[in-house]
Amino acid sequence: MTNTNDLTPKTVCAECLKKTKIGYDDGGRFFMPHFKSINHVEVGYSRIITNPLTIFAEWLLAKFYALKDGLVALAAKLFPRRPKIYGKQMDSWLVGKIIFATQENVEVPIHHLPLEFWGRTKLGQWRKLSEGYSAPDGTFRLPFELRCARRFGIRSLRFEICQISHIYFKDGQANTVHNTFHCIKISKSDLIGMEYNLRNIPLCFWEYRTDVKNPRVVIKAHGKDAPQQYTEARIEAINEQMIPVELTKIKHLEQIKLDSDSITLAEIQADYPENLTVCIEKKLPGYTRGDDWFGERMMNGMNRGLFLPDTEEEGAYWMKYFGKHNYDSNDEYAFPDAMIKFRLKADGLPTPVAIKLRGPLNAINRDPWQERTFTPADGELWQQAKRVARVNGGLCTEVDEHFAGTHANLEQYAIAAYRNLRFSPLTTLLFPHLKEVVLINHTADGILLRQYIPSATAFTYEGLMARIVDVMGVMDWKSFQTMKPLSEAHSYAKAEQLFWDLTYQYVDYFIELNRKEIIRHWHEVFCFSEDLVNHSVPVFLSDTDMTHIDPRDRARFEEMKEYLTAQFCFDYDLPRQHRDGHLRTVSPLTLTSTLSPEQEKEEIQNLKKACTYMIFVATFLHTWANEHQYEDIGEVLYNCLGLRYGDKESGILAPESDLSIAPDLTRSTQMMWFSNLLSRTEYGFITRNEDHDINPYFCELLTAKKDEFAALGVIIEDIESRTNI
Amino acid sequence: MTKKHSFGTFIWHMLGAAWDKMVLWFISKMFAWALVVTLSIPHRYRMSHNNGIAARGKVRIVDNPEFPPHDFFEPGRTFPARVRHASATFLDDAMNCIRSMSIKFSDQHMDSPFDMEMNTGSINLFWSARSFLQFAKLRKQKWGVEYHDYYRKYPQGLEGAKLSLRRNPTSFHNLRYHSLTPYLFFGKDGLKRYAKYRAKPFDNEPETGITTNLSDWDTCNQRVFPNETRTRNYLKDEYKARVAKEGAKYMMQIQTRIAADDDSPEIFNNQIPWDEKIFPWQDLAVVEIDEILSWRDSLMTSFSLNNLPKSLRIIPAKSIYDYNSLNYMRSHSEVARKARIFSYRLFGYPPEIPYDDNRNVSEWSGKE
Repeated sequence: MTNTNDLTPKTVCAECLKKTKIGYDDGGRFFMPHFKSINHVEVGYSRIITNPLTIFAEWLLAKFYALKDGLVALAAKLFPRRPKIYGKQMDSWLVGKIIFATQENVEVPIHHLPLEFWGRTKLGQWRKLSEGYSAPDGTFRLPFELRCARRFGIRSLRFEICQISHIYFKDGQANTVHNTFHCIKISKSDLIGMEYNLRNIPLCFWEYRTDVKNPRVVIKAHGKDAPQQYTEARIEAINEQMIPVELTKIKHLEQIKLDSDSITLAEIQADYPENLTVCIEKKLPGYTRGDDWFGERMMNGMNRGLFLPDTEEEGAYWMKYFGKHNYDSNDEYAFPDAMIKFRLKADGLPTPVAIKLRGPLNAINRDPWQERTFTPADGELWQQAKRVARVNGGLCTEVDEHFAGTHANLEQYAIAAYRNLRFSPLTTLLFPHLKEVVLINHTADGILLRQYIPSATAFTYEGLMARIVDVMGVMDWKSFQTMKPLSEAHSYAKAEQLFWDLTYQYVDYFIELNRKEIIRHWHEVFCFSEDLVNHSVPVFLSDTDMTHIDPRDRARFEEMKEYLTAQFCFDYDLPRQHRDGHLRTVSPLTLTSTLSPEQEKEEIQNLKKACTYMIFVATFLHTWANEHQYEDIGEVLYNCLGLRYGDKESGILAPESDLSIAPDLTRSTQMMWFSNLLSRTEYGFITRNEDHDINPYFCELLTAKKDEFAALGVIIEDIESRTNI
Repeated sequence: MTKKHSFGTFIWHMLGAAWDKMVLWFISKMFAWALVVTLSIPHRYRMSHNNGIAARGKVRIVDNPEFPPHDFFEPGRTFPARVRHASATFLDDAMNCIRSMSIKFSDQHMDSPFDMEMNTGSINLFWSARSFLQFAKLRKQKWGVEYHDYYRKYPQGLEGAKLSLRRNPTSFHNLRYHSLTPYLFFGKDGLKRYAKYRAKPFDNEPETGITTNLSDWDTCNQRVFPNETRTRNYLKDEYKARVAKEGAKYMMQIQTRIAADDDSPEIFNNQIPWDEKIFPWQDLAVVEIDEILSWRDSLMTSFSLNNLPKSLRIIPAKSIYDYNSLNYMRSHSEVARKARIFSYRLFGYPPEIPYDDNRNVSEWSGKE
């Protein structure tokens, strides 16, 4: 029990942080409903199994599958696939070419794919007849002995194309596990000696989508026809954390459907686990709506925003959240530009001194260029303006920083890496951090980008996609820099620097250790770089003819460009590649498929920075955005991502008690469900190393900094190893 | 390190080898009888090279041979000879076809001390009995387009076709013909050797009809060119005119190599020409042709790999996958040849190929 005398903001915040910290200790019960897959999660009614009979049947089915898996495992033990290659007189060859099943005009070869040629005897034994890899041009020529393949005892023949399924570390050594990606059965009678041509084998292997502007992978059927699968433990993590939340949401939706008057927003809020702001409000009413809290969260909370120095006023900073102005949007939700002016207090934390809102604030005056400025002297209006800025900041952080900055940004690296890295030791460095991001992004496509955000914020789906492409147009590994701390209290920037440094130390160690092999397989790095550059989005505004647009629009674009450039550390002056008529955002790591001694220093340096960037984004940056959601957008009235205009002239400048501008009940419960889903269901942490895929050296480096991170409010055990939620 | 075989393994291998030979023999016989039943008797066809013309003359072994001395190839020895040129498989000289030259060291329809069958191209479209059966199975010919499945599956077959097909050569005489699969060669020194044969124009006239940069699909398409003005018999007509005017003179050449215990089976592979720098072509005999045979004599003239001296016979084959099984199977198709001659007696001789507009066909009837 806290002594009331100790109720300082600092102690209350610490206590509430501790109280609302998400734990992972609910193992569930037999008849507890559960999800079958992350892809069964829905904003509306998720596909969960609730009926006890179904649960029992599901249990039986699970046992059946377990038995089947057991039999498969037994068969694998009885008929092992031994590495010995049968045959001495290699007089025949399987030939062909493996290409991407791309819809582009030219064939794109898939290099260095592991290939195996197996025979199965009539008694079920496996005979490896040949093995090899596809060449850099995608062709292969696997030698085998014709007589071995055509033996009477051989029942069937299969040519298998493999891929790296996962990496694990054992005794400090990285091990690469392959699985079969594609199998082609070959008729024995077709083998007549010399070469047998399997011709062009087009594989839907980490294909780029062509229906979106930013690089995304093709996933035909989640869980079945996807380039990756989640681990079973990842599904269990969702079950443990989300079933109670899911049931709460379902209860609310049923109540709203039956009689929307039977439930209030406050009751919805109360049904969900208490978050940080709710907890603090109970102990220090009004504190979370105050200027101190506002400034602190903007600096060290989920937003971790950029403080752009005011060019005219020394010691003043601007934080800018650009609204829906030039994006496709609906007419129900407000999303004006919000510019917040800060000054630093004596304790080093920022305090807002002015808020400028540009754009419509109510449903009556739709002038997009109207501007209003608020200061603390405005009393109640100041509170309301802060709420608008907070909500806009929440949405911008979710879309720009979280989804575009980590999920979508990382996906482009993941696709390029999985398409091209095979022999290079970089696989063991990067794959553990790049895995599963494409899967969660695919899920996000449905529930977040198509369903929730267009219904709960001002963005339409098209507007949202355009925004993501715009923001990705200023994200480049090459110009990235960590945030400069504004003061001693800028703990986020300090933690970011600390994590970047140790990640760089790890990457530097790894690359130096494997430098020879990396250079030997530089072709893979080149292909990785080419895919990355060719598919990256155009540089922000590079495709826009600025001379023919409204001067006010031009000025706003320039302002947006200036801020986003600083926010994402983009350097417009870096030399960039023009590909397919567009100036590409992402810089190449290399432009040659072999590394010459003259280039070596610079390009290895490029590689180190790009790898550090990828790991940093996948781990620290994403974890920060993700785990703070529950703190900063876990209370509907505090921050709801979208305020409705309502029908009053005051519009969104109204107190929290005016529920006509707050999200409706359905959107409210969905929002609460969302923030719980995103923050609660993390799985795959660096130090826990659940899948044994993290380099022990990286864990050691992080563990050694545990206290330094703790002093900055970062618990290293909570830093995810990959972006998978 | 040598690998020791147990007695059981030895017996097992012997049984396996016997089984392989039995399969080869059985398949060769079956194939020959299949030809009898499906082509020779009902259609009076050869297996493939129906569209041909035969001529007679003489063959003289060169006076100063550089190849190893051999009892049969005595310097200056002269034989009467017959030569038959043909286009496989279509009855249309203007199609893109493999062309052939068969030579017989006698002026008889069948009997001869030495017969040699050669085709254009330095490599073949098939390399063993098994691959030949697959080749036959995947022909799927329709109006002059054929073997697309075979070429898709077997790159060597496709390469063989590209190198062997001759489109609109100016004459049978200026082409180069190769025996491809090697033969035995026991010379006077008693050493076992292998030999390959080829024929070329005596005056080294440049070869015509070679097409380059053929795509896979162009290779399948052997049809005459659109608006083709050459007749179905233009090559035969040219050859008749050439022989009547000046005769046709060829140089037959031989390539030999000494057999060794550790020879790779690949030396028998007709897809891999022997290196001419190591195993140079040596002049063997000069063939001079001075008289065209009648259509009927042309039909009756038949060649056989069994018409070889013992010291120059085909190399024994071990299985249907053995590269030498091709010649083995050819030598076992004697019955089909005899059946065709017999069918002429039963049903009369097929008519000469008409000068009509039934192009791109391999059937005498003009129907596919």
